Amino acid sequence: MMLILIILATSVLFSKSLLSSIIAMSFYSMVCAIIFLLSDAVDVALTEAAVGAGISTLLFLKTLSLVNDQVDIARSRDIPSFMIFFILSILMVSFSFNFPEFGSISLTDQAKSTQYYLNQSMRDMGIPNVVTSILAGYRAFDTLGEVIVIFTAGISVLGILNRGKE
Amino acid sequence: MGNNHVIKVITIIMIPFIMLFGLYVQFHGEYSAGGGFQAGVIIAASIIVYDLIFRLDSSEEFLKLEIIETFVAIGITIYMLVGVIGFLYGGNFLDYNSLSSAYDSNSGQKIGIFLVELGVGITVSSVMILIYHMFKDAGKS
Repeated sequence: MMLILIILATSVLFSKSLLSSIIAMSFYSMVCAIIFLLSDAVDVALTEAAVGAGISTLLFLKTLSLVNDQVDIARSRDIPSFMIFFILSILMVSFSFNFPEFGSISLTDQAKSTQYYLNQSMRDMGIPNVVTSILAGYRAFDTLGEVIVIFTAGISVLGILNRGKE
Repeated sequence: MGNNHVIKVITIIMIPFIMLFGLYVQFHGEYSAGGGFQAGVIIAASIIVYDLIFRLDSSEEFLKLEIIETFVAIGITIYMLVGVIGFLYGGNFLDYNSLSSAYDSNSGQKIGIFLVELGVGITVSSVMILIYHMFKDAGKS
């Protein structure tokens, strides 16, 4: 799976045509969704498939119909930015060794609240899906903030792109 | 892109199923995977696909911009109203227990979560359609 992801990411970077880059990115999201699905994170997988592979591909395609498909990519040799990229990727890999073991909930800081949600969700909410009960029940206030962020994003796009009309 | 008959026929067949799946994810989110956010994105995707395939060259608007803007606000208002109803029954903000009936103590939670997810779905889908619309208009001018 990881090998497929690496191959797809390289093909996004180095393909000459923007259309094939977009299709490869969509496929990349789909492979990510399958990885999430295999890790039993069904809600995250659905989000990745809908947003990453679905709507963002559509928006990219729409943008592609406005610009020229063939773009000559200037391959610059920017040493400082390459160094920053290198340091950041080493940092990310080193942080990933501190992740809790896959499937274990005892190592996380929120172990107590996690246990509480898993045990009490059915009694408190009467809803089988724990993710929904946390998202819209226990943490409804955070979800309200999330919706406000989406609302603000929509309003901002409206404000930026609609400015020349009036 | 819009002149290919194969693409048109396949899209006509697929769009109702995409919408049905979106509604399923929306209203069945308490029992299976998904919720308002994913459902909103899926429904918006079906509408955008229709617009992208069939109305690429048409200049008239598929949905009036004012209607989409109104729906963006309606979704977030539903969410806020559910929160404020908690105040009216003497509870906290977003306290669904005050919506419960006397017989089933969990029914308030179910109603609250259902309404909140509905608000999220409406806002997300209309924001996605709005962004697509703005991109489309930006290309014309």
